[in-house]
Amino acid sequence: MTTESKLAPIRKGLLEFLVLKIVGARSVYVPDILRRLAGTEFATQEGTLYPLLSKLRREDLVQYEWQESDAGPPRKYYRLTEAGQAQLAALDEYWTRINRTVSDIGT
Amino acid sequence: MQRLSVTARLNRSTLQFEEAAYARLAGYLDEAALTLAGNPDQAEILADLEQAIADKCHGRMATGPATVTLAELEPVLEEIGSVQVPGGAQAEPQPTRPTTRPLQQVSEGALISGVCQGIARYFGLDVTLLRVIAVLLLFVSGGGMIVVYLALMLLLPFAPRQPGSEPIRTIPARSRQFAGFVRSKFGAATS
Repeated sequence: MTTESKLAPIRKGLLEFLVLKIVGARSVYVPDILRRLAGTEFATQEGTLYPLLSKLRREDLVQYEWQESDAGPPRKYYRLTEAGQAQLAALDEYWTRINRTVSDIGT
Repeated sequence: MQRLSVTARLNRSTLQFEEAAYARLAGYLDEAALTLAGNPDQAEILADLEQAIADKCHGRMATGPATVTLAELEPVLEEIGSVQVPGGAQAEPQPTRPTTRPLQQVSEGALISGVCQGIARYFGLDVTLLRVIAVLLLFVSGGGMIVVYLALMLLLPFAPRQPGSEPIRTIPARSRQFAGFVRSKFGAATS
């Protein structure tokens, strides 16, 4: 098993957390999210992001509203629901904890 | 010679596509629809993707209305990527059951031997319903059901124990006690 094949599932699992973080910072539409992740280890595509956002919306973690744009059709702007904010806080806290565990163990 | 083109309405935008490009686009959307089959938001995600494709095509064709060629469409689809269903640990439960599922007895959580549980798992039915039917048949058949049950009990192989798998249905403690009582009264032959 190559290193990459072990890293891919870690990134995949963390993508949802990062999307919640981005949406939690301010109301965004999909190209904003893609731009924010581009160039990072978590660079992703519409084909991945739209199904993920729709899952998060079904779980009542994010919601969107339509906003008119100067160019082209109206856009969906996403933001966190209260449940989404609570989950983001929990994930953030958990992430800090496992990060500490990972760096403490084996040293 | 006139170049064949197709007008396609992508969500809220209308675009002209060269025939080859249109076929490629239809193929991409078909595949996306297939990947999203069973997803309650399938239509909405497809609409989002169509809009993203349309926006990107517009962005690539700076000079007014024109026909999207295959060469112009390919990088757009490349950028959007194939549809990936969010998965990982909490993948949504698959409603479809595996096609080749053997008919077996399931002894975990069984009341007698696990025949009803096995049949329930095979057909995707509620165990309790099957047990009720079995008991009714027992009376209607005038004892013939006992023979059928015993035959199934002897013939059906046991499903391998799966430590990780949840039992089909947890039996309430009281009916477990009752089953124990019945077994102690009527001998260990059925246990």
